[in-house]
Amino acid sequence: MQIRIDNASNRPVYRQIIDQIKRDIALGRLIKDEKLPTVRQLAVQLAINPNTIAKAYRQLEGEGIIVTRPGAGAFIANLDSNLSRSVRKRLLSDELERIAVEAFHMQIGTETLLELFNNAVEKLKVPPKKPPSEVHKGEKSNE
Amino acid sequence: MLTLIRREIRDNIVYFIAAVVFSAILIALLTAAAYHFDLSRSAVFVRLSIPMLVILVLGFSAMGVTQMYMDRNRRISAFLSALPVTRSRILWARIVAGLLAILIVLVPLTIAAIVLGRLIAPPIPILAGYIADILTTVFLMVLACYCLGLLTGWTANKIAPTFGALGLNLVLVSLVFVKGFGPDIKFLLVLVIVACLIRTWHKFMSTSL
Amino acid sequence: MNDNVIKVENLVKYFDGRCVLDGINLTVPRGCIYGLLGRNGAGKTTIIRILLGTEPATRGRTFLLDTESTNLSPAIRGRIGCVAEGHNLIQSYKVGRLIKLCKDLSLQWNDESFDHLMETFRLPTDRRVKDLSMGMRAQLNLVLAMAIDPELLILDDPTLGLDTVARRQFLELAIEVIQQQGRTILFCSHILSDVERIADRIGILAAGKLVVDCPLEQLKERVKKLRIIFPESPPENLYLTEIVNQQIHGREMTVTVANWNQQKQAILETFKPSSCTEIPMSLEDIFIECTRPGAEPVQVA
Repeated sequence: MQIRIDNASNRPVYRQIIDQIKRDIALGRLIKDEKLPTVRQLAVQLAINPNTIAKAYRQLEGEGIIVTRPGAGAFIANLDSNLSRSVRKRLLSDELERIAVEAFHMQIGTETLLELFNNAVEKLKVPPKKPPSEVHKGEKSNE
Repeated sequence: MLTLIRREIRDNIVYFIAAVVFSAILIALLTAAAYHFDLSRSAVFVRLSIPMLVILVLGFSAMGVTQMYMDRNRRISAFLSALPVTRSRILWARIVAGLLAILIVLVPLTIAAIVLGRLIAPPIPILAGYIADILTTVFLMVLACYCLGLLTGWTANKIAPTFGALGLNLVLVSLVFVKGFGPDIKFLLVLVIVACLIRTWHKFMSTSL
Repeated sequence: MNDNVIKVENLVKYFDGRCVLDGINLTVPRGCIYGLLGRNGAGKTTIIRILLGTEPATRGRTFLLDTESTNLSPAIRGRIGCVAEGHNLIQSYKVGRLIKLCKDLSLQWNDESFDHLMETFRLPTDRRVKDLSMGMRAQLNLVLAMAIDPELLILDDPTLGLDTVARRQFLELAIEVIQQQGRTILFCSHILSDVERIADRIGILAAGKLVVDCPLEQLKERVKKLRIIFPESPPENLYLTEIVNQQIHGREMTVTVANWNQQKQAILETFKPSSCTEIPMSLEDIFIECTRPGAEPVQVA
């Protein structure tokens, strides 16, 4: 698992780890039930404080992205489970609210915003699970 | 402690080798003098012993100076004090090493003197007492000059005070020859030793490294 | 075990009438890696020297492993590994002899650790210390500090002179140390990327005070830099607390503020700014802001 820490970033290290693991999952580089390195292994491999990695893992577990099985380690969760999905939907809608506020401050209109969003989705090559019209509705209601 | 003493000896090995060699020379001289002893040549004997004494005294004074100066120059105690040793142990090890070197010279000499005394001269008690007196005074004198060397080496920052200390050494030696080997000279020497050691101790313990 | 391995209480230090440390309070709990940052001459080395007892404090007290720094016994010092400024070694000795001296004088020596360290750094044992490069001397210092299996590592700029690979090796070693039970590390560094990787808490020393002393992960989230544009000239006083720094250029005001929250947002809105954008700050940016002259200390729990 390749994780790069960007020191020029304004995001704390643990957030960067979380982001990159999520990205890897979204890109299919990490699949369901795949075993993640232990906190200790990853700490030594990346020369990062184990507490930072532990915090990242804890947060991922809280979001339902990974599960830890005692004695066995951390595994990528079954992302299709209902509990996991609802947690993730809630988190994502929080993120989208934040983005909507940012866009307002930056005076970027809805159409431009949606265009940017679609471009981002394209880059991931993740097929949308819902038809585009429903995504539209969700966005509009958040403003 | 042993490690520290070993370190001192190894760093000053030159002096220890010199001590052994000098000891051998002194014993040889003593043996030669003893076998050729007659009153007409006693003056020669005395004249020979003065330079020997001076060399001994200057040598050990130099050793004291060298030990302390090397420490300051190479920051040895600065390094050692980061390790789990106390400063007092460092100083004690240094003094023990010096003492060892002095004993290396004087103990064989004493033994040789006793043996020769038994072999050659008739068992005159006064002679034995006389030898004991001389050797004790010599020991104290050498020790005093060594301690002076230690003090000078640690506290002096320039060459001049070092030469001053050298001068003091020679004063001490001449004092012995003026006043003889009596108890008052011994007392004076003990005073000098104690004073030097206390001052050295104080300075060594309080200097910021 | 939640005891504080390092305690600094109201430390004040004057050098020739100049105040270098002005009331420093600091605690490092067991198991923590604490990164002490500061510009050159800020006083990091002075704090470490006072902690180790090689320099006396003007006022205040410091404690290592519950013992006052002026009273450190050999038994306590044997549990502390330190790499002090200047890489103090006996230059005339051969590396092998120096190592043996340290080993014989140490209270505990971990041969396995030592072999692992020597293998990592590949130091020649038959060369004299003065013939080693500066980086190798730094590595030797690290080896000697770590081979005694210390409970507490105090490192003053441990990566000074180390090449990129050796620096990375040092970081990995530090992580290995901290993974063992009950170890603590205090280190100073100028290389913020290193600090960001391995530190749990950081402290930033500026103008004799500890302007920042908090868990690292919170720092970026709590210190924000905002660019606020006002329709006319900016107000003189924003009546906001915890402003680290502010600058005014025409109608634009750049404010670095700690612990931004909704109240502060509300107060800012009363001044009716035209726009307010957040400027992202890396650790380096935060460091620069907090060490500007006149910067206010950041109160982060």
